[in-house]
Amino acid sequence: MSSPAEPHTREGEPTAVRLQLTLFVSGAAPSSIRAVRRLREVCDRHCPDGYDLDVVDIYQQPEKVASRGVLAVPTLIRERPLPVRVMIGDFTDEQRMLATLALPASKVD
Amino acid sequence: MTSNNKLHDSGDRTRVELPKSATGITGFDEITLGGVPTGRPTLVSGPPGAGKSLFGLQFLIHGATRCDEPGLYLGFEGSRADLAADVGALGIDLDALEQGGGLLIDAQTMEREAVQTGEFDLEALMVRAAYGVKKIGAKRVVLDSLESLFAAFSSTPEVVRSEVLRLFRWLKDQGLTAVITGERGEDALIRHGMEEFLSDCVVLLDHRVVDEVATRRLRIVKYRGSTHGRNEYPFLIGPDGLEVLPITSLGLNQQVRNDRISTGVDGLDEMLGGEGVFRASSILISGTSGTGKTTIASSFADAACRRGETVLFFGFEESQPEILRNMASVSLDLNHWIEQGLLHFHCERPTTLGLEDHLATMQRLIRKFTPTMVVIDPVSSLSRSSGAPDVSSMLMRQIYYLKSAGITAVMTALNQGGTELEHTEMSISSLVDTWLLAITLGGNGERNRGMYVLKSRGMAHSNQIREFLIDDNGVSLIPVYIGPNGVLTGSARAAQEAAERAVELGLAQESGELAAALELRREAVEQHVIALRADFDAEENLTGRLIETSKAREDALMLGRQQQGRQRTVKPETGP
Repeated sequence: MSSPAEPHTREGEPTAVRLQLTLFVSGAAPSSIRAVRRLREVCDRHCPDGYDLDVVDIYQQPEKVASRGVLAVPTLIRERPLPVRVMIGDFTDEQRMLATLALPASKVD
Repeated sequence: MTSNNKLHDSGDRTRVELPKSATGITGFDEITLGGVPTGRPTLVSGPPGAGKSLFGLQFLIHGATRCDEPGLYLGFEGSRADLAADVGALGIDLDALEQGGGLLIDAQTMEREAVQTGEFDLEALMVRAAYGVKKIGAKRVVLDSLESLFAAFSSTPEVVRSEVLRLFRWLKDQGLTAVITGERGEDALIRHGMEEFLSDCVVLLDHRVVDEVATRRLRIVKYRGSTHGRNEYPFLIGPDGLEVLPITSLGLNQQVRNDRISTGVDGLDEMLGGEGVFRASSILISGTSGTGKTTIASSFADAACRRGETVLFFGFEESQPEILRNMASVSLDLNHWIEQGLLHFHCERPTTLGLEDHLATMQRLIRKFTPTMVVIDPVSSLSRSSGAPDVSSMLMRQIYYLKSAGITAVMTALNQGGTELEHTEMSISSLVDTWLLAITLGGNGERNRGMYVLKSRGMAHSNQIREFLIDDNGVSLIPVYIGPNGVLTGSARAAQEAAERAVELGLAQESGELAAALELRREAVEQHVIALRADFDAEENLTGRLIETSKAREDALMLGRQQQGRQRTVKPETGP
């Protein structure tokens, strides 16, 4: 599962925008807990420069759920870099997740 | 709009029916006897563009503005801006309603372009619904639409299904009156296994093209625990939103008026029991072209304006200036009624719009001007604007609407040449109270106008055919000549009348002569009688004398015999 960090991935490119994510989860639901765990794992692995992750509990901040138009949980929104991208699910499909986040695929897979 | 509440109340009174929530959609609350079922979900299905979202929004807006029932709109199709633009065209200000707290629009969605990476559920939808309902204290909820929800998560329909069912259950538990829109109707519901939750009330909106005219239809497929109109009702999206046509209740319960109004035509009132027609009744004037139908209808309008009443004139064949000019030529000055604001014209080509659009326009104008009389000239051309077979049923409902509103309806109908006169294309004749038939009476190289009352409910009416005169002095009806040579009109009638006068004169002379001759004869007879009398007297005289003489002779003879007898009796006593 683990793979060596690849610091050169985004460094050579001009869009060196810090990754900014919002994750909507429903309290302590198993799929939400899974999603948070997997997301952190992947980001820690692929973003050595760090990233911002805002985890929103839909029960705590329902107005945010409505204003962002979120229907499913877990929902991950890539706020930066633009364009905004949306993912739903607990990240079982890591390849799709990495592709959507525009992070390099894990070499082990 | 307030009448909806009234209807709602009366529905509760008459029977123990489930409570209903008025939608404020013109006509819909009437055919459902109050609206959608309170505290239950209603499915509004139909193809894209059929007006489902508008149905939902009107339902919410009516709740917010009239029923003190705040509403939550959960949309998954467009954005809030799209919605605001849609209803903004109808004069509804969503922002103001939202600020007032009666409405919450939650139409944001970003799932359309979402990438699925694993398991998920729609708990966020649940949270949004609960949050919105709680925030404004919503009593009404709209979900728009099921299809877009399924489309957003197309790869996992079973997840959506179970989640939507969970939402429905929650809505029901909360006692929320919900309108849920969907594109495919009942089949899709059954496929999704949702029918048990959406079978309280199912409304079908349809949008199709018949004879190149776009028509919208609404049908209530199902309404558990309630009676409802089962027909297909035409509807349209007008300036006030959805309108189901016409706005009539199901029952025949309109008020009956007993006062009569003049027809404005000399002689016609006399034919109708001497008093004219009933107020708020419907009058049909039918005939072939050129029989004076428009003129008679205009006379009705003119008479109403003279009484100070308002009249709405719908012209489907002539423009307003044309009608005014033509009527002015027969001394019907309609122009000054327009100036006084008593008469309103609305002229339109029948083919410009579909039938329901015409009827809706008519209803809007009727609501705007609140006339006491409506003239539709001619009603038959409306049937040409739509090839649909339901023209007569729509006109029927329009007539009921006018009746229930207490409006006198004057309609003209053009009979096509060759068809039976006492037959109207739209078969609305059984609905009208008074039917005047304008006919042409031909002969002697002339064509004259005639009229008779084919029927007039509730009053004694003439059985005569009258000649209908249109000249510089206006219109009038005069009795036609009916003689041994048949019905005569026009110059033939004039000629016949002259001839009759001549004959009468001749007869008078003849009888004078006869009388004189008789007198002469009488004199002769009387003289003859005198002569005979004289003869008789002489004869009587003579006979009297003869009788006397004969009597004297008889007496003398008697005397002689007696004497002879006396002499003989002495002799035999002294015999042998």
